Amino acid sequence: MTDLVVGLNGVTKQFGRHTAVDGLDLNVPRGSIYGLLGPNGSGKTTTIRMIMGILRPDEGRVALFGGDPVESARRRVGYLPEERGVYRRMKVRELLVFLAEIRGVPRPLGRRRALAWLDRLELSGWTDRKVEDLSKGMQQKVQFIATVLHEPELLILDEPFAGLDPINQDVLEGIVLDFHRRGATVLFSTHLMDQAERLCQRVCLISRGRCVLDGELREIKRRERKGVVAVAFEGPDGWLDGPEVIGREVAPDGAHLVLGEGADHQAILRRAVASGAVIHRFELVEPRLHEIFVRYAGPRGGG
Amino acid sequence: MSRLAGWGHAPSPVWAVIRREFIQRVRSRWFLFATLGVPLLIVGGAVVPIWLTSRSEAAARTVVLIDRSGELGDAVAATLGAAGYTVERAAEVEEAEARARVAEGRVGSLLVLDSTALTEARARLVSAESPSALRQLGIRQAVIQAALERQLANTSTSVERVMGGGTLEVETLRGASGGMADPAFAAAYAGSFVLYMIVLIYAVAVMRSVLEEKTNRIVEVILSSMRPWQLMLGKIVGVGAVGLTQLAVWAGVAALALATALPAALRARPELGQIAQLRSLLPDPSFFLYFVVFFLGGYFIYSALYAAVGAMCNSDEEAQQAQFPVMVLIIVPVFALVGVIEHPAAPASVVLSLVPFFSPFLMFARAVGGAAPPWQIALSIVLMALTVLGVAWVAGRIYRVGILMTGKRPTVRELWRWLREA
Repeated sequence: MTDLVVGLNGVTKQFGRHTAVDGLDLNVPRGSIYGLLGPNGSGKTTTIRMIMGILRPDEGRVALFGGDPVESARRRVGYLPEERGVYRRMKVRELLVFLAEIRGVPRPLGRRRALAWLDRLELSGWTDRKVEDLSKGMQQKVQFIATVLHEPELLILDEPFAGLDPINQDVLEGIVLDFHRRGATVLFSTHLMDQAERLCQRVCLISRGRCVLDGELREIKRRERKGVVAVAFEGPDGWLDGPEVIGREVAPDGAHLVLGEGADHQAILRRAVASGAVIHRFELVEPRLHEIFVRYAGPRGGG
Repeated sequence: MSRLAGWGHAPSPVWAVIRREFIQRVRSRWFLFATLGVPLLIVGGAVVPIWLTSRSEAAARTVVLIDRSGELGDAVAATLGAAGYTVERAAEVEEAEARARVAEGRVGSLLVLDSTALTEARARLVSAESPSALRQLGIRQAVIQAALERQLANTSTSVERVMGGGTLEVETLRGASGGMADPAFAAAYAGSFVLYMIVLIYAVAVMRSVLEEKTNRIVEVILSSMRPWQLMLGKIVGVGAVGLTQLAVWAGVAALALATALPAALRARPELGQIAQLRSLLPDPSFFLYFVVFFLGGYFIYSALYAAVGAMCNSDEEAQQAQFPVMVLIIVPVFALVGVIEHPAAPASVVLSLVPFFSPFLMFARAVGGAAPPWQIALSIVLMALTVLGVAWVAGRIYRVGILMTGKRPTVRELWRWLREA
């Protein structure tokens, strides 16, 4: 059995009558980059907050480094919550040194690391400015630095790239990959599928509090090969709609059709020919994560 | 600091929290103003005018003395000289010339001792503008004193002492009686009120700090590396240290003012000598000891309560409402204060001042006023200490659950459940 950094077993969490997480199993092996994917309100943040011991599950068990998520375990985690908080009136460097100190980094070391990171993220001119003087994007970078200053073994990032411009997204992605190369495990949630596709080795797709798809991304893609058809055609397009098609993405030269579970792609082809359209291309392709996502978490998906 | 208190080699997160709270606050402009600005303004407001008038009156301090009684001139001149005047003797025929000099402002005033000065203490004062009441009083007393001294020269009467108001030694057999007229209780009243203000200010500062962390969610990050009670403890100690620092600075400024400004003022305006008796009304060192002890008791009780209030709210508006019960608790002693000071030994006063939530203000007042037997003071301190522990237990539990809770403010029943579950 692989070494699990995070393990959730039949975890359920309810808020009043609403079930936010419903019997969730989740296993994050050491050294992986794990994506927690799902639409808004699917239970990603609740799951992460249970892993961090902020919420207690109503049922099931949460294990962090093989034990309960107590502070000694949580201190080994670099946690970036979805709702980013800072002390607005503190100076940037002081905030970073403080947040490192409470995780056990001595102040002189924290100061050195903070300066190095600020330099790397091109914030060295803002070291002694108050946090509230920074732009939102800059604040987000500072928060990211705060998350990694104590060199955690596990990064848990809740929607880490939301609200960042593409350049800074790339910078942070690079840092996450860097940490991974040096042996850290990364668990992050996102609803940006392109990002997940680039970064993740393993994904768990959550819909309505349940895990609907879990495993290695490459494996999943191979398994889902039959799920997506790329077409190029001229003529009428009414045949694109049908019971088999649960999602589609139209491009200038054709379309990607996402098929429902067990759908018969031949039926679509027959309908296309019958409608009089001229088919240039009709190919089963390796689906993109986005399409798998739509297939499982969309309105008619398997949730 | 962290190395002393660390667990093993890692710095303790509690110290980090204490240091952050302390440094951030002490560095703020508000703190600098309240701590240094206010006392300096008060001292400056009192001293500068005295200093200014003393400069401008240097010329005006010269008195030309004409003695028509032929008996009292030397004595009056000596008394005025001791009071800081420069006395210039003149003959009766020179009066017109002296008047002219006064009118031109070259000398301050002309004092003419009447021929009946010895029997009626009669004199005439000529000055360019009307002299202050204090100056009139000083000059009048100098004449009276000279007359009496001459008349009673062969007796053992100490005119100076009698004139100084005599002496009334007050001995109380059953403790202080209380009332504002008693200077000790006046000090107790003022002290109590200042205590109330700073306990409230700093306890509310703790609430705001808790609320800030909760509303901006940084608390999720902080609590991923320490326990809620550690955060609460660090915050309360850090903010309390700021309060103690402020008290220390205030006490220092007051001591400095008494040591330097007061003597300087007395040199400049000798007629303030009568006011110098005020010095005997100033509280003795035990006042400051009680102040610190009861500040700590009151601050720990109320800051823990306010921390719990902050932890169960999600916004300033909510906190305004939720702090009402605590506010009532802290306001009761303020209303009771006048009654307790008027009747410090009444059973109701004793009972109220022993209630730990009220002791910081009421027992303080009775202790400073000298109306509380030592056993009552000791008992109230023990009760306060126990209450601090109890309140910390309750507030810690509310804080632990509330700090990460979002959504609706909990009802009383929910709070009760938090206490039992936690």
